[in-house]
Amino acid sequence: MKLNIDGLLVYFPYDYIYPEQYSYMLELKRTLDAKGHGVLEMPSGTGKTISLLSLIVAYQRTYPLEVTKLIYCSRTVPEIEKVIEELRKLMEFYTKETGEKNNFLALALSSRKNLCIHPEILHANIVVYSYHYLLDPKIADLVSKELAKKSVVVFDEAHNIDNVCIDSMSVNITRRTLDRCQTNVETLQNTIQRIKETDAAKLREEYRRLVEGLKEANVARETDIYLSNPVLPDEILQEAVPGSIRTAEHFVGFLKRFLEYLKARLRIHHVVQESSPQFLKDIYEKVCIDRKPLRFCAERLRSLLRTLEIADIADFSAVTLISNFATLVSTYSKGFTIIIEPFEDKTPTIVNPVLHFSCMDPSIAIKPVFERFQSVIITSGTLSPLDIYPRILDFRPVTMASFTMTLARTCLCPLIVGRGNDQVAMSSKFETREDFAVIRNYGNLLLEMSAIVPDGIVAFFTSYVYMENIVASWYEQGILENIQRNKLIFIETQDAAETSMALEKYQEACENGRGAILLSVARGKVSEGIDFVHHFGRAVIMFGVPYVYTQSRILKARLEYLRDQFQIRENDFLTFDAMRHAAQCVGRAIRGKTDYGLMIFADKRYARADKRGKLPRWIQEHITDGSLNLTIDETVQLSKHFLRQMAQPFRREDQLGLSLLTLEQLQSEEMLQKISQIAQQV
Amino acid sequence: MDEEPERAKRWEGGYERTWEVLKEDESGSLRATVEDILFQAKRKRVFESHGQVRLGMMRHLYVVIDSSRTMEDQDLKPNRLTSTLKLMEYFVEEYFDQNPISQVILFFIGKVLIEHHVSNPKKHIAAMKKAVNSMCVGEPSLYNALNIAMQTLKHMPGHTSREILVIFSSLTTCDPANIYDLIKTLKALKIRVSVIGLSAEVRVCTVLTRETGGNYNVILDESHFKELLMYHVKPPPASSSSECSLIRMGFPQHIIASLSDQDAKPSFSMSHLESSDGGPGLTLGGYYCPQCRAKYTELPVECKVCGLTLVSAPHLARSFHHLFPLDAFQEHPLEEHKGDRCAYTIKVFTCPACSSVFCTDCDLFIHDTLHCCPSCIHRQGTS
Repeated sequence: MKLNIDGLLVYFPYDYIYPEQYSYMLELKRTLDAKGHGVLEMPSGTGKTISLLSLIVAYQRTYPLEVTKLIYCSRTVPEIEKVIEELRKLMEFYTKETGEKNNFLALALSSRKNLCIHPEILHANIVVYSYHYLLDPKIADLVSKELAKKSVVVFDEAHNIDNVCIDSMSVNITRRTLDRCQTNVETLQNTIQRIKETDAAKLREEYRRLVEGLKEANVARETDIYLSNPVLPDEILQEAVPGSIRTAEHFVGFLKRFLEYLKARLRIHHVVQESSPQFLKDIYEKVCIDRKPLRFCAERLRSLLRTLEIADIADFSAVTLISNFATLVSTYSKGFTIIIEPFEDKTPTIVNPVLHFSCMDPSIAIKPVFERFQSVIITSGTLSPLDIYPRILDFRPVTMASFTMTLARTCLCPLIVGRGNDQVAMSSKFETREDFAVIRNYGNLLLEMSAIVPDGIVAFFTSYVYMENIVASWYEQGILENIQRNKLIFIETQDAAETSMALEKYQEACENGRGAILLSVARGKVSEGIDFVHHFGRAVIMFGVPYVYTQSRILKARLEYLRDQFQIRENDFLTFDAMRHAAQCVGRAIRGKTDYGLMIFADKRYARADKRGKLPRWIQEHITDGSLNLTIDETVQLSKHFLRQMAQPFRREDQLGLSLLTLEQLQSEEMLQKISQIAQQV
Repeated sequence: MDEEPERAKRWEGGYERTWEVLKEDESGSLRATVEDILFQAKRKRVFESHGQVRLGMMRHLYVVIDSSRTMEDQDLKPNRLTSTLKLMEYFVEEYFDQNPISQVILFFIGKVLIEHHVSNPKKHIAAMKKAVNSMCVGEPSLYNALNIAMQTLKHMPGHTSREILVIFSSLTTCDPANIYDLIKTLKALKIRVSVIGLSAEVRVCTVLTRETGGNYNVILDESHFKELLMYHVKPPPASSSSECSLIRMGFPQHIIASLSDQDAKPSFSMSHLESSDGGPGLTLGGYYCPQCRAKYTELPVECKVCGLTLVSAPHLARSFHHLFPLDAFQEHPLEEHKGDRCAYTIKVFTCPACSSVFCTDCDLFIHDTLHCCPSCIHRQGTS
């Protein structure tokens, strides 16, 4: 159908449209008009992707000078493939409707096997790839630096974007890294030696270039061709590479010295935490390495690798990592912390020293993106509370909106279970988590649910350790045996192969009617990437509130930073983080309007307003006073009723006019009135 | 209190949120909603007219009743099993009333499998109740049940319908083999499988019914359960590929011998010879097979001696109305027809042929029991 979105003609490749899609496109259009950034939350399964694509492509066609390119970032390869599939539909629709052959070029960067290096790809209208191509400074420099300023950048499934940013800027160095680095440096030295004998002119040429400074890069940045790289700060570009590392041999010597220093730092017996300036002072005192050459380290190494014409960069990942670390640590005096731990917390007897160079400020990595591109859209099914993202990513959005799901039938049923039948409060909080009564009540809840929920149940625990304890305890109490009469039990482990095997068998058991329960962990692989559509997840049970492990030193440092820099209280951030993971977990079960599922929050703390208020609006609006602080019995009754209701025949006609609209229905005055209430501005 | 089982006490049952259905109107009164609920309940019929389609008049129906652990659940009163058996009793009666030339086999799946070939509904259900009552344990196997039903049904002649109706209470099935292979076989054999779920929607049942062309429904409460069961009383449309064949049938006359007649000799009914439950063995009159003169006291029956199907003419006539159902009456608001003969409630109904006016209760009675409009017949008589 052809839609009129606020004066813009949008081709929409389906005959029906959800009201929230229309509303979403309106907000999106407003953001593009204002040439600003936007934060939009819309539940999964309501057609976010196609709404985004239709509107932005239409915008590009109508105002070709305003928006030249769409950069669509998603998390995983299957998600990228989904986007391409929708895009293909859209393009077919365009060809059919307009009759002309479209000259749109779309490009997906998914894996090396699909790689194309034809120069024409630079002019693609749409680029779809993974977050890392834009955020990770190591890759962004290779792939994304030539993207035009007048692009629209979309981050889909962006609820974890701050963690992606932090990960892309953080460096962990172990003894193994250093050993491999040592080998790298030796290889470099040998290669230099060889080249010196055969082709000394090449090295001289490089030297000359370095004296000139990185002028070229500077010219490029000033004329605004390249995306700035956070690893390559502006100041560097104005200066020449310092003399101490200008010749290849000197640089290798420099690297060796740096390496030895790091090795010495790893030989410790107690935890050390220090800031970047402290580290720099120490390195100057110990091995006389100045701040300046360190800052040029990454660029110098790149230049050297180019000069030596080393084809396989992957072999040199260790030395690249070290040199990136050197540049980062000398460039940013704020926003980073260095923690050296002699052993892991879990195994205090085994010596395994690690140097964490940890980024605490996600805005550092994403800053160039916000500064460069005229519109950046952050969107996901769970972004609540919306206002926290602009704060931690340090940007000013022009639109922030949360959309609800219009439903012809209430297909989600969030229930907060706070007590067992014996009235003992259920909670995973630290003081009571080992309590026998709590564990037994959790077991009873799962047992009762296994008897009334058909096919698949997914249960999430707060951590692997907690899951192991509880399952062991259930086994002793005979609860597991009872559950197994109703359903088979599968467990997610930290081993990826084992987990995918368990998943496969879980789905088989759901398929053939035996029924199954998957016990998994919030923040694990299952909670993020795997969808449990229809019978694969008729109920999700969230045992406890998935707070992050708060004793970690890196987290403590980050919390302190957030408090000092952004005035976000520790508790607020921790709750926000826990609730977004809880929302992600329970959101696994509902993947569309024809799907249905129970969402059971098994912890009395969820009933509190500060927790409940941080759930996405589309879940929150279905939590009534009658679904708070329930006992197991009450939960069972409500669930039974819900499942029977949902099992009644549900056809497309039932949705039409309510949650699914034809063009005529969309244009009615009354409907437009209703649609305006779907979006909630923040 | 003694005759009641200990666990069936009212306060031990589930929470029933009956008040949630009620909604106040603008003036705060509940009357409108109550009337509406009553009306809806009466009006709710599963009358989807098939139009002109062939119906399978001779049916072979296999009713599989889950008797696993979950049948002891008390969400139907007093428990699922008792409630189901009570409804089955009604169902079998209705079934034979409307499909006199059909067969039904009741079959229980649980730890023990019980099979019953029903010819005389009342007696069998009583016996079954006794047998089943004590054995609600373990998990059911859908595969085994379907397999056994299939073994029997696949030998039925091609012109009859082959149907399985599963009353499935459990949410799990412990199968010895891949059920999807069995579904393929069932599909190939043109066996229609319908499922009535007592708890929730199970994926495998959805696939099973979709593949074999049956219906899948999940009950909301007891009255909905009854309604769903009654839907299966009506014969399903026959598949276009089913065979057509001529069937020999006998129409024996009922010969009544009076006690005063000296020549009359009491004799055994053939159907009583095999049944072990005794009963009145020797009777005077009866139905005599026109082919071999074997005597039966009840119709319809298949002659034990020569295999002829024995029916009476009214039996065939009763199956007839499925082929030409009475058109649904048109609904009108009450205001237009004040002061007619029936006790109208909210809506009135008019016959499309003679435009006579009926109330909700009459409408139901005409469609469910009479199968013809009395007003139309009255006119035919007078003209």
